Amino acid sequence: MNRTMAKVEKKPRAGEGLSDERLRELFREMLLIRRFEEKVEERFRAGELPGFLHVAIGQEAVATGVMAGLEEDDTIMSTHRAHGHTLAKGTHPNAIMAELYGKLEGCSHGYGGSMHLYDVANGMLGANAVVGGGLPQVTGTALAYQFRKQPRVCVAFFGDGATNTGVFHESLNLAQLWRVPALFVLEMNGWAESTPLHQHVPIEDLSQRAVAFGMRSIDVDGQDVEAVYAATREAREHAVSGAGPVFLNVRTYRLVGHYIGDPQVYREKDEIEELRETKDPIELLRARLELSDEELEQLDAEVTGIVEASVEFAKAGTDPNPEDALKYVYA
Amino acid sequence: MPELTYREAVRDALSSAMREDEDVFIMGEDIAEMGGSMGVTQGMLAEFGPERVRNTPISEMAIVGAGIGAAMQGMRPVVEIMYQDFLTLSMEQLVNQAAKHRTMSGGQLKVPLTIRTQGGAGWSPGAQHAQQVEAWFVHVPGLKVAFPSTPEDVRGLLWSAIYDDNPVVFFEHRLLYPLKGEVPEQLEPIPFGKARIMREGTDVTVIAIGRMVPEALRAAEEAEAEGISVEVLDPRTLLPLDEEAIIRSVQKTNRCVTAHEAVTRGGFGAELAAVVQGGAFDYLDAPVERVGAKFAPLAFAPAMEQWVVPHAADVLAAIKRTVARAA
Amino acid sequence: MATEVKLPRLGQGMESGTIVKWLKGEGEPVKKREPLYELDTDKVTQEVEAETDGVLLKIVVDSGEVEVGRTIAVIGEEGEDVAESASDADAPEADSRDHEAAVEEKDEDQTEGSSAPQMADQRRRGQEAAAATAEAEPVVATEGSTDGRVKASPLARRLAREKGVELAQISGSGPEGRIVAEDVERFQPTAQTAPGAAPPATGEAEEIALTSTRKTIARRLTEAWQAPVFQLTVSAEMTRALELRERLVARLAEGETKPTVSDLLTKVAAAALVRHTAVNAHFTGDAIRRFPVAHVGMAVAAPNGLIVPVIREADRRTIQEIATARADLVARGREGKLQRTDLEGGTFTISNLGMFGIEQFIAVLNPPQAAILAVGTTEQRAVVRDGRVEVRPMLTLTLTCDHRAIDGADGADFLRTVKELLEEPGLAL
Repeated sequence: MNRTMAKVEKKPRAGEGLSDERLRELFREMLLIRRFEEKVEERFRAGELPGFLHVAIGQEAVATGVMAGLEEDDTIMSTHRAHGHTLAKGTHPNAIMAELYGKLEGCSHGYGGSMHLYDVANGMLGANAVVGGGLPQVTGTALAYQFRKQPRVCVAFFGDGATNTGVFHESLNLAQLWRVPALFVLEMNGWAESTPLHQHVPIEDLSQRAVAFGMRSIDVDGQDVEAVYAATREAREHAVSGAGPVFLNVRTYRLVGHYIGDPQVYREKDEIEELRETKDPIELLRARLELSDEELEQLDAEVTGIVEASVEFAKAGTDPNPEDALKYVYA
Repeated sequence: MPELTYREAVRDALSSAMREDEDVFIMGEDIAEMGGSMGVTQGMLAEFGPERVRNTPISEMAIVGAGIGAAMQGMRPVVEIMYQDFLTLSMEQLVNQAAKHRTMSGGQLKVPLTIRTQGGAGWSPGAQHAQQVEAWFVHVPGLKVAFPSTPEDVRGLLWSAIYDDNPVVFFEHRLLYPLKGEVPEQLEPIPFGKARIMREGTDVTVIAIGRMVPEALRAAEEAEAEGISVEVLDPRTLLPLDEEAIIRSVQKTNRCVTAHEAVTRGGFGAELAAVVQGGAFDYLDAPVERVGAKFAPLAFAPAMEQWVVPHAADVLAAIKRTVARAA
Repeated sequence: MATEVKLPRLGQGMESGTIVKWLKGEGEPVKKREPLYELDTDKVTQEVEAETDGVLLKIVVDSGEVEVGRTIAVIGEEGEDVAESASDADAPEADSRDHEAAVEEKDEDQTEGSSAPQMADQRRRGQEAAAATAEAEPVVATEGSTDGRVKASPLARRLAREKGVELAQISGSGPEGRIVAEDVERFQPTAQTAPGAAPPATGEAEEIALTSTRKTIARRLTEAWQAPVFQLTVSAEMTRALELRERLVARLAEGETKPTVSDLLTKVAAAALVRHTAVNAHFTGDAIRRFPVAHVGMAVAAPNGLIVPVIREADRRTIQEIATARADLVARGREGKLQRTDLEGGTFTISNLGMFGIEQFIAVLNPPQAAILAVGTTEQRAVVRDGRVEVRPMLTLTLTCDHRAIDGADGADFLRTVKELLEEPGLAL
């Protein structure tokens, strides 16, 4: 195997593109994620949701684009900001909303909450509340695929803050060493909670951190769902071929606070406004597809209906018995 | 009956499992060509190859985490942490991840991972290579903890650990590795949660783990000579713990001594004392005595080291305190 | 359509916030995401944005602390009607509580089943379930818990040791019959009550709560009642005994206590007890303990209930000595000044209701004592002597025996001796 420094590629190779029809589906999915997250914010402010929540408004294209590029048997692990990933991977909004309400019908049966969404049947191996906590497990999952010679990949989602943790480096080093079929997707939104990139990272280009391990890295515009898709297909092919894991350096934007209710005192209001106007992935795709007002309204009504139904579903759900807290401690 | 050393017994359990089951593999630092820093995995690379006997970088977080990932996919990885002091580096993955996946997912996931580790004083390894930290893991719901003291027990329990669908932290003891013991012809799995009475007696129950089991047996011999009949009980697994056997024994003897090499304060003996006090309150004729290391990081110089860690003499002294009468 | 602006939950655990000032006035247009008002939470003071476009029709809460979920303003289209129950917004000084009260009514109509109270309910549910489990949690059940060991807490053992009390004499009130400190502290031979309580009074009933003494008495008597007992009755002619008493009284020195028939009885019983140690005994549950010395208790009425002070070594004392001891104990008993040592160690009890004119009765055992003697009044009765009806002073005695410790013959022997000694005191010498 070639052990020279991997080159950073600026543009994904032209592979099979996405048809307009498929793009429309992706648009609908991104809009569903957006409305879901807005509804979650609304319900949280109304005081209905226990715990704390992190929404991914602005980052919909990454979740949607990556999942569109995966095969059915591929698996993912996510972060504390997992609603978008989980929806895009195929979990029904009802199951996620019910989980946020702490009901038995939730995808983690009320045991996990927003930061511990699991849907193993759909390949979602867990959202993790510890920054970087899932990374070595993604390496290990991919290792199992390698052992068993299965043509599957495991995908890690994480943010720029995670690239400072020791476990990030250990996990990428090990993954590259053993050439396991893993994808490491960095959602670079420039913020680690309230800390801007330049305050916690001494370099500009985080893909260097993968390249340092000899890992292939691809830069991606995270607000362009087509670009995300293409990069994912590229990366997947590479990983599954046995050539090793791939790092996706995805540039994206967090259009809201770190958690719901975050007043973002640490950010310039103008900056947020400008981003909302120029970097909203949904607006960008809408323009790309030239969707009319009527078409948009129709799609919006549709997804909003699904989201509202999920809230009804969740509210009508079953509260767990207190004693059930002991049910799953041991297998 | 055939005899194996404790070390050979570990190797035998690992190899037997790997021969039968492709899903079992081992990884750790220096376990391949070198056969492990304690020589436990000698010869296994030759038999099973580098895929299944994997050397890893010095990345305790990543190797435990990778073990978790592979285990969640249904494999049965056995991760070796060279010295249990280094478990500290993998705590996040063990405690926040492995122990909790099953609960957090509402039962969707299992983590059939085994972490093997060792430790122990007696050869001046210094404070960062000699700790005994089994008590920390008994405190984590979702983990299981084993600490066998004989070749037969380590072989049978390691097999059970590998086939347990829960994450197991499996403690071995450095000074026990060369000890020979009888083992059954065929490997017999030993269930978790069952103690072994190493020696029967009627005056005091000594509950000992790890290296302190043979120390306790030595102390029992000496006590016998002085007319004290000592029962030595080895819980073998700390979580789950065979509380019933322990309580039954103390009900019989009315006195109890706990013994481990780990520091006394906050050590597993404290949990045992509480279990005994709760279950055999009306049977106790003397306070429960705890034997363990003195409260200091382990000094290097041999004289200091040996003073800090407990020995048979400490167990004997504790035994005598339980039967003492006013002058 | 007008929408209500409710105070949002802006962080986990936020229950309320304080409106500092409004950044828009009533009648002003607002746009979505424009800052609407300043809010002080315990973390930070921040601007809160409007969530819809429209005109700020009404400010319902001008300033002050507001609970999450309360309506604080209304945004709608210009000229739209806002419900009348909202308070007058022209009085910015007005107490925000007035607004809240008015707002509450609207809230009830408008809230679409907000489950904020649901979360609190669920929390409470978990806590209550935990509390219920905690109560029900049994002590770790162990084998062999009924192997006859005397269960006593370490503290109880020490107290018993210090007081020189046998644990076996004490009944444990702790779990599984364990003797706890309180049992040792309260340990005193219990008083006897006559069988057959008075019928309940009609009219207004007086309820007397049980003192701890009464509770102990009740418990002890219930235990005693469960012993298999038999009773023996005998009547003794008291002529000689009364004569003896008179002579003793005549010989009294100044200040000496007058001996009574009771004192005589105590002496006689004690003498009989040491001759018939089968009756001078305790039943301990797994043994019968017979004593060579008679410590005779006498049932005495005291302010808190019956108590039984003990005359130690009654068999070795003279009647006069017994009288003196008896008087002292009774006096102190009436004043509630008895010591524990006064009440402990009895081997036998005499209960005398003669002063109440009772002819005969059956006393309840005073465990662990194996027997108790009930004494009635001495009265002139018609008896047969030498085939002729005579009038003699007669006393009826009834001995209750615990059949687990005493056989009929032993009891009868004893009682016969008592009778003999009463009828001919010289026989006690």
